[in-house]
Amino acid sequence: MIKAIIIDDERLARNELKKLLLDFPEIEVIAEATNAAEGVEKIDSLNPDLIFLDIQMPGKTGFDMLAELERAPNVIFTTAYDEYALKAFEVNALDYLLKPVEPKRLADALQKLQVEEDKEPISDHTISVNRSILNEHDQVFVKDGERCWFVKLSDIRLFESVGNYAKVYFGPNKPLILKSLNALEERLDEKVFFRANRKHIVNLRLIEKIEPYFNGGLLLEMKGGEKIEVSRRQTVKFKEMMSL
Amino acid sequence: MTKNGSKYYWWCQIGGWGSLALVLVLNSSISEQTITDKQIYIMVITVLTGILVTHIFREVIKRSGWAFLTVEKALPKFLIGMLLTCIASALIRITLADRLGLVSHKNTEFMARLLTVAADTGLMIIPWTLIYYFYHYVLISSRRQVDTLKLEALVKELELKTIKAHINPHFIFNALNSIRALIDENPPRARTAITELSNILRSSMQAEKLETVTFEKELNIVKDYLALEHIRFEDRLQVEYEIDEDTLDQPIPPMMLQTLVENAIKHGISRQVGGGKVRIVSDFREDYHELVILNTGVLNGSRDSDGFGLASTKNRLQLLFGQKANFDIREVNENTVQARVLIPVHTAAAKTSLKP
Repeated sequence: MIKAIIIDDERLARNELKKLLLDFPEIEVIAEATNAAEGVEKIDSLNPDLIFLDIQMPGKTGFDMLAELERAPNVIFTTAYDEYALKAFEVNALDYLLKPVEPKRLADALQKLQVEEDKEPISDHTISVNRSILNEHDQVFVKDGERCWFVKLSDIRLFESVGNYAKVYFGPNKPLILKSLNALEERLDEKVFFRANRKHIVNLRLIEKIEPYFNGGLLLEMKGGEKIEVSRRQTVKFKEMMSL
Repeated sequence: MTKNGSKYYWWCQIGGWGSLALVLVLNSSISEQTITDKQIYIMVITVLTGILVTHIFREVIKRSGWAFLTVEKALPKFLIGMLLTCIASALIRITLADRLGLVSHKNTEFMARLLTVAADTGLMIIPWTLIYYFYHYVLISSRRQVDTLKLEALVKELELKTIKAHINPHFIFNALNSIRALIDENPPRARTAITELSNILRSSMQAEKLETVTFEKELNIVKDYLALEHIRFEDRLQVEYEIDEDTLDQPIPPMMLQTLVENAIKHGISRQVGGGKVRIVSDFREDYHELVILNTGVLNGSRDSDGFGLASTKNRLQLLFGQKANFDIREVNENTVQARVLIPVHTAAAKTSLKP
């Protein structure tokens, strides 16, 4: 059973989608939300597998809402017209549906969801003991100005502190998110993400090279070529972890 | 054009060279008492050679399109052309004069004669070239002006068309989506909704053909539009009308009120989590028909897309009703935006009375 939430400000649009979803018994609509604030609240409390998200909503847009989430669920965007606007974003959302939704397109979109789930059988990661810790298979939604990405935590090699922001390194991109490094550290899985020094958190799986450095510290070279110094205190911890 | 042009050209050639010949004849008849046959021959040779070489020069200019060049680029080409024309003309004249035995001072050096005759020809070729060049210069620049004007008119027309035809596709698809949901939930409402949507689509298509429509017609469209938006927004949208019935006959540009109300929804109501109110007021104020659209919301800066819409609304009004017509948009309090259209009543009445 796939738990889904529909987020759309129009009652009739939600009803119409619910009606269409009756043909897909594997999808259970567990809640509805009429705006971004309500959406965030329901996602955090109900932890759905999938959300249907309208982009244009009063207050905040669907994109703004996603950027507020700690962990982004699978998203299918629904929109009346903004196909091109949507394509302009580098959003690798599961899919998008144009309203009025064609039943065949909905079936295709849900088909993609099944494929995704099969690819990654850890859909039970959501039942992990401590839900507040982000698993490396979790994805986050990153919005930087006009550009957006869904990023798997396992693809992020480095977080760098820049004032109140954190710079997120993945692929060729390094957008800023409004989160402090300390807050991130609390939420990240410490088996994968390691606080190398005051300014950096590195992904241990994406280290290219480790070299000794001054004062008994270490110098890490990441897969993207970034060189990160491990402070003396953290070097001890790092060696402990790696020797396990 | 070319036919006329070449007719003018021949008239100018013959007229110009002919009057030169006349001047020469008069000149010698004053200074010397009699005109000899020799002098007449020389004159005929001068004129005929002049026509021949300038005609060849003109062909060269035409073929290589020198008249279309800028002054700086054309100048050296014309100078060289003139020099060659003078020399050619001088050579022909000297040869003919010698053959016909018209010249007595045969012992003068050839180069000196060539220079003298060439300079003499130059006195005629230089004015010829200047006249030719400036005639074309004026012709081309006036043609260019006409082209610019035509282009400006076209741009204006296109601008008007895009505003007129503008009905937000986002609205159409949202309305269709609501109607689909209504088909099960409230079939009679779904039926009226389809009628309302048809009215809007029809009027937006017809709008392209009309300059103005009566306010009443436009208001009906807006009522249909707001009824459809009400299906979408439900209790988040309240609508109020305050219409002076006498204003119903007033002419207004088609789809203008519709566009303004659409913006009130798009930038006002749809951004309010709790929804809001749209109020439409139509009244006479002094010599103007005043249309006011109030909506809940705030004005957010000068957004580029709206900037175009707002400026063109004003342009469109002034094109139709003259400079006195006006349009403005502002915040009347911290949560209400007011768009106001002023159309002078007299000009408006005059304009409609012209149309049957």
